[in-house]
Amino acid sequence: MAKQFGVSDTALDGLKDPARHPFPADQKAALRFADAMTDGPGAVPEETFRELRRHFSEPQIVEIATVIGVFNYFNRFNNALHTEITLTDPDVLVQRVREAVQAAAGAEDLCERVADILRQGRRYARVAIDRRRKDIDTTAHTGATRPVDGLLRAPIRAGGATVGIIEVESSSAAFDDEDRSLIERVAALMAGPLSAPPA
Amino acid sequence: MGRISRLGPDRVGDEVKALFELFLKERGNIPNMFRTVAHRPEILTTMLAHFRAVMGPGSVPVPLKEMLGVRVSRLNTCDY
Repeated sequence: MAKQFGVSDTALDGLKDPARHPFPADQKAALRFADAMTDGPGAVPEETFRELRRHFSEPQIVEIATVIGVFNYFNRFNNALHTEITLTDPDVLVQRVREAVQAAAGAEDLCERVADILRQGRRYARVAIDRRRKDIDTTAHTGATRPVDGLLRAPIRAGGATVGIIEVESSSAAFDDEDRSLIERVAALMAGPLSAPPA
Repeated sequence: MGRISRLGPDRVGDEVKALFELFLKERGNIPNMFRTVAHRPEILTTMLAHFRAVMGPGSVPVPLKEMLGVRVSRLNTCDY
C-alpha cells in the first residue's frame, strides 16, 4: 500500500535499517522516534524527542505519535489474533492487468506494472516477468503451470512461441488452484503486448 | 488460520455492509482485520473513521506517515 502513497522502492528498502539509509533529516528524526516509541514501553529518550521537535510543530508531533500508536495497536491486534493476510480477488486483479495492458508504455513498463499488481494483490514474495528467457523449456506446458517448491511458472505464449515467462514465488507454503488459474489468465493477457515488436 | 472468525458482507448489518462495499470498490478486497473487528460494529465504524483521520491528509506528508507505518509493522514483525 505504501507505494501507492508515493513511497519509493528505495525508501521502502531503507526502512529495513533507517539509520544506514540517507533519509532526509526530518524523516530520520520521525523514524527514530517511531523506533523508540515501538520498542518496549515507549520510553523515548530526551535527545530523540529534541531532534523530532527541531523538525516538526506540536500538531505534527501529535499526528506522528498517533500514526505510530495506531500501527502498534493494529499490529498487536493482528499478531495476537493471528489475522491472516488479505488477498485480492483474482477477478479484480485480472481487471487491473487489463487496465495495465491499456496504460503501459512499452513491454518493460507493462512487465513491471503487472508484477506489482500480483505482488501487492496476492502478497507473493517475488514476481518476475521476463521476456527474454526463451531458453526455458515450456513446450510440454502450453498454458499450464508447474508449482514446485513454492515456485509457480507460466509461459507467456503467442502464436505457438514462448515470448516470456511469469515466475512467482510464494511467501507461505503452497499455491492453490486460484493462484495457478490467476497466473495463467495473466499470462494470456500479456501474450499480445509482449509479442508485438518494439515501437 | 485466524483465531477469530471473519465476517463477510452477508453476516453484518447495513452500516458495516456499506463500509465493506466501499472497500471492495476502492481496493478489491475487505481487509481481514476489519472483517474480524466487524464482530463489534461500533468498534469497527469508529476504528475506520479514526484510521482515516490519522492516515489521511493532515499536517504531516502522507508518504512519511506510510513510511512510519511500514517501519512500525516491521519492528513488530507483523506482515499484515
